[in-house]
Amino acid sequence: MKKRNIILTLVAVLLALLFLWFAKENFDAYKVRILNLCAIYTILGLSMNLINGFTGQFALGHAGFMAIGAYTTALLTMPVAVKQQNFFLAPIVEPLKDLTVPFFPALLLGGIFAAVVGFLIGAPALRLKGDYLAIATLGFSEIIRIVITNAQRVTNGALGLKGIPNTTNLWWSYGTAVVTAVFIILLINSSYGRAFKAIREDEIAAESMGISLFKHKVMAFTIGAFFAGVGGGLLGNLLGTIDPLMFRFFLTFNILLIIVLGGMGSITGTIISAFIVTIGLEWLRFLDQSINLGFVVIPGISGLRMVVFSVLLMIVVLFFRHGIMGTNEFSWDKLINRLNKRPLVKGGTK
Amino acid sequence: MKQLRIDNITKQFGGLTAVKDFSLELNNGEIIALIGPNGAGKTTAFNMVTGVYRPTKGKIYFKDTDITGLRPDQITRLGIARTFQNIRLFKDLSVLDNVLIANHLHIKSNFIEATFRLPRYWKEDRQMREKSLSLIEKVGLIDLRNEKASSLPYGMQRRLEIARALATNPEVLLLDEPAAGMNPKETENLTEFIKQIRDEYNLSIFMIEHHMEVVMGISERIYVLDYGVIIAEGSPYEIQNNPRVIEAYLGVSEDA
Repeated sequence: MKKRNIILTLVAVLLALLFLWFAKENFDAYKVRILNLCAIYTILGLSMNLINGFTGQFALGHAGFMAIGAYTTALLTMPVAVKQQNFFLAPIVEPLKDLTVPFFPALLLGGIFAAVVGFLIGAPALRLKGDYLAIATLGFSEIIRIVITNAQRVTNGALGLKGIPNTTNLWWSYGTAVVTAVFIILLINSSYGRAFKAIREDEIAAESMGISLFKHKVMAFTIGAFFAGVGGGLLGNLLGTIDPLMFRFFLTFNILLIIVLGGMGSITGTIISAFIVTIGLEWLRFLDQSINLGFVVIPGISGLRMVVFSVLLMIVVLFFRHGIMGTNEFSWDKLINRLNKRPLVKGGTK
Repeated sequence: MKQLRIDNITKQFGGLTAVKDFSLELNNGEIIALIGPNGAGKTTAFNMVTGVYRPTKGKIYFKDTDITGLRPDQITRLGIARTFQNIRLFKDLSVLDNVLIANHLHIKSNFIEATFRLPRYWKEDRQMREKSLSLIEKVGLIDLRNEKASSLPYGMQRRLEIARALATNPEVLLLDEPAAGMNPKETENLTEFIKQIRDEYNLSIFMIEHHMEVVMGISERIYVLDYGVIIAEGSPYEIQNNPRVIEAYLGVSEDA
């Protein structure tokens, strides 16, 4: 049975690669962008799930870390001439002016910088619990955004950055998503991951078992911030333009939606729901336009898709409290059993 | 040698004095019990030793090291492990994971080594698993190692909690009502089990217990706490015949 699963996995990976290759060659720019966004949201969802789902710390600072990653990567990859065009109100600070590095180190630096800030924020904020932690991290995330808005000579302030090289393609985004998923799966199945889960289950018991709450919470938070920064970097170099308004609380909310829908504490659930949410948000755009139902014409109400999405979220919270996957993971055995409609346990024997 | 020395600790919650001038000594290899009516402050005393509460006054020493006011994880790291009165297992995790988690405090590999399964972590992880499995076998849960902790019957959850505490490599084990909610048969098994682990792992055991069969059966010395104050101390025989203890437990007759 194990062999069958390996073969199925290999086939699935091969099909996914073929699909990506096909999409890259044949899909229009709009569809490719959505596919890219799916992968980036997967990265962001996984990193947030590490903090919220696996370590059980309800933190809402993701947009801030993404902003740091996006700005760092963008500023390091933009050509010198483009930077000069962008900074017409006030000149850019000296070391950044002529500094251009390749995409990969820039992305990595974006992640590292986000992780450093994550550490500085996490160290004081993670002494708080529950709602208080959510509010504190949310506040810090807004502070990051406001600092970026006001650091005119570093970030070009509210004008944002334009003409960022569109380096992010399907290979970059999906490659990074796979690396992130593998890293987080390995991490949460290691001894450190077990310690994270212990903190989620029962802080008092975890501490009595010799697990330093502070150290492990800050560790999960910093690693989460790193991947959020990397995701932000990919996003900036996908869109080509970034400005501080992109990184409002709304962005954190989208990622929260993904992990709640997918299941707090499920890797595969996060991946599935990242695709559902990203594609769903685009597909539901028809709701914003006027709809002709034949007998009645509904005029276009912009924002209607968000209303529908909120209703969907409420349905999930009310009826499927654990999301698509709960804390379970996808497995071929379960899928095949379900397809065969054959219960695993029959007549009490296995 | 004294494994644990509690020196006149007092705990006040606002105006309420939960424990007052509590002193206790635990010798190497000894089993001692703390008894007393409900609300006497037994668990508060425990919580001060394990770092959950900081004593208002007084000092606690573990083998001559002052551990007063250390965090619970630091105290566990030094070698004092505990179980809880109302079981606190990691409910949604498996039996094996519960015990593995208690090995984590001694890990030397950092998270990078752990994530990428580098040789040092690989070796540590194997040792952790071997040790955890042997502990699970000891408490008789080997066939249930992959079950969720919350799915175990009550008595087994108690045993699992002890196995988890043992996985931290303690020298002193604090058991908070280990026999609570157990039937007579389970209680008898537990009494044997406590003695057995004491001998096998060279432990000194300090427990809170209400079941007198357990207390009288295995403890070498007993402390009696009432309204936060120690009212008696001595061998099981001395305690059984101490009028103050009988008074605390049964009350005193009006016309006496």
